Amino acid sequence: MPKRKLDPLPSSAFQILLALVGEDLHGYGIMRQVAEQTDGRMRLGPGTLYSSIRVLLEEGFIEELDSRENDRPGDERRRYYRLTSAGRKLARSEAERLADFLRVARAKKILRGRYV
Amino acid sequence: MSEKLYALLLRLYPSHFREEYGREALQLFHDRARDERGFFPRVRLWLDLLFDLTISLPREYLHIPSPRVAASAPQRLNGLPAFYFLQNESPRPSALLLGGIFSLVALTTCWVSLNQVHSAANSGASQFGAARNEHESGRTESAKTTPRAAASSAVPALTQAGAMDPAERKHILAGTIANLKEHYIDRGAAQRMADALAMHEKHGDYNAVTDRAAFAALLTQQMREINPDRHLTLDYFQDPLPSEPVAQTPEVVTQYREAMKRQNCAFEKIELLPRNIGYLKLNSFPDPEVCRVAAMAAMTYVNHADAIIFDLRDNGGGNPEMVQFIGAYLFDHPEYWYNPRENTTEQSWTRSPVPGNNLADKPVFVLTSARTFSGAEQFCYDLKMLKRATIVGETTGGAAHSGVWHRIDDHFGMGIPEAKAINPYSSTDWAEIGVEPDVRVEAANALDLALKLARTKPKEK
Repeated sequence: MPKRKLDPLPSSAFQILLALVGEDLHGYGIMRQVAEQTDGRMRLGPGTLYSSIRVLLEEGFIEELDSRENDRPGDERRRYYRLTSAGRKLARSEAERLADFLRVARAKKILRGRYV
Repeated sequence: MSEKLYALLLRLYPSHFREEYGREALQLFHDRARDERGFFPRVRLWLDLLFDLTISLPREYLHIPSPRVAASAPQRLNGLPAFYFLQNESPRPSALLLGGIFSLVALTTCWVSLNQVHSAANSGASQFGAARNEHESGRTESAKTTPRAAASSAVPALTQAGAMDPAERKHILAGTIANLKEHYIDRGAAQRMADALAMHEKHGDYNAVTDRAAFAALLTQQMREINPDRHLTLDYFQDPLPSEPVAQTPEVVTQYREAMKRQNCAFEKIELLPRNIGYLKLNSFPDPEVCRVAAMAAMTYVNHADAIIFDLRDNGGGNPEMVQFIGAYLFDHPEYWYNPRENTTEQSWTRSPVPGNNLADKPVFVLTSARTFSGAEQFCYDLKMLKRATIVGETTGGAAHSGVWHRIDDHFGMGIPEAKAINPYSSTDWAEIGVEPDVRVEAANALDLALKLARTKPKEK
């Protein structure tokens, strides 16, 4: 199996996948969603955003909506993206990988206080 | 403008990226620029773009486009001509280096120009008291050392980049507390404010503040929470403040005198308009020592007008004595003339009536804009409170400059009121809120409207 471009998954790509869970978004929508879910820590610039989107598209983790599927008035010219089932799987496996790290960190007691 | 700039920066990306996502990237920039208004969001936006550019440019050049991408037609970005590449292979490392340097230079230019916009906006608030508040463009020598002028040299600003560290915070906080205790007019309030700031520090409320302007705003807010005084401020200036106050050397005075002579003491226009309406366009309130005669001549020229219009739309303020001197012509008895900068004394009454003056009972209109500042706002405020003028135009700038300026370091300083002027009016003065016009209209149309008003009620009052 050839080495995937997204291995390891960059955090920007992971955040984009998470942003698209449950909602199809255009570029700026993704950027805002990512900023929201990271408490403003990650604000994807156009270059990073669209290069990540392109790689995710090429690898089949997201898909671009056909313009006919975009029924939002006034938004016809925007390109919307949707998570594919492969993308959802990738996001889940990445989340599990991070959860494993968290378990190790907990076991080693480097986290203090309450945490989830 | 900024969109065009970003469109230019986008040209640094390889053609396959521009073709595929150029329009989207520009749209994203457009969306963010629309939603993130104000200085700090705008700076953050450009910093994000700089960061984004440095991260994504090399990645894009290393990326080998898939056939789907390469086949799409080139797009034109925002009307700018696009370059067409004959080949899609990665450029030479030297070209990458050159591109990187070019993008850095371009972004530095944006950053510097953004600073200048901000500094210009800030400059009004940066001048305190009449001595520092010489907006008269003729006073070039003194202007060099005011914060406004210092702000125009934007290059040193880059040396101030970087976050505020704990030592600097501690230093500024200590300076603020020391100045408060030493200079603030109400010693009890000064102590309470100082205690509150010390308490905030103890609780670690400042630990996360790394932005200097935000730090200054936070401290100002916390002082005012204890003691609501809008004339008390801690200000941060991006560019270094002058180390010494402006010296009134004979050369400076001579130059000022010469400049005022050339500019007719800032009276840009003194006219009698049709239907006997006097029109004075005054762009500053110059020092009466130099311009008393010119001011008297101007007032004499319009002495027999049936109504008078003061056009202060381009007036940045000036000398409070001149403000009061001109105000005196509009009353037939001494009126209390509120000046937040001075203790109330017998000088606080206008020297009315002015011998030979006919204007005391004529309708007065004052034209304002958002650029009407400081001393000019005092003129508007007092005439409005005395119900002696109709203010026509826009809300004024909101600069009372009533604090005495105290420098803390090269970038921080405080405006601290040291005088207690009695404000006889129930409303607060114009500090930070400006003077509301009686008749609101865009500044550009204020004269037309005032003329209309003057003609419909020529003999009132």
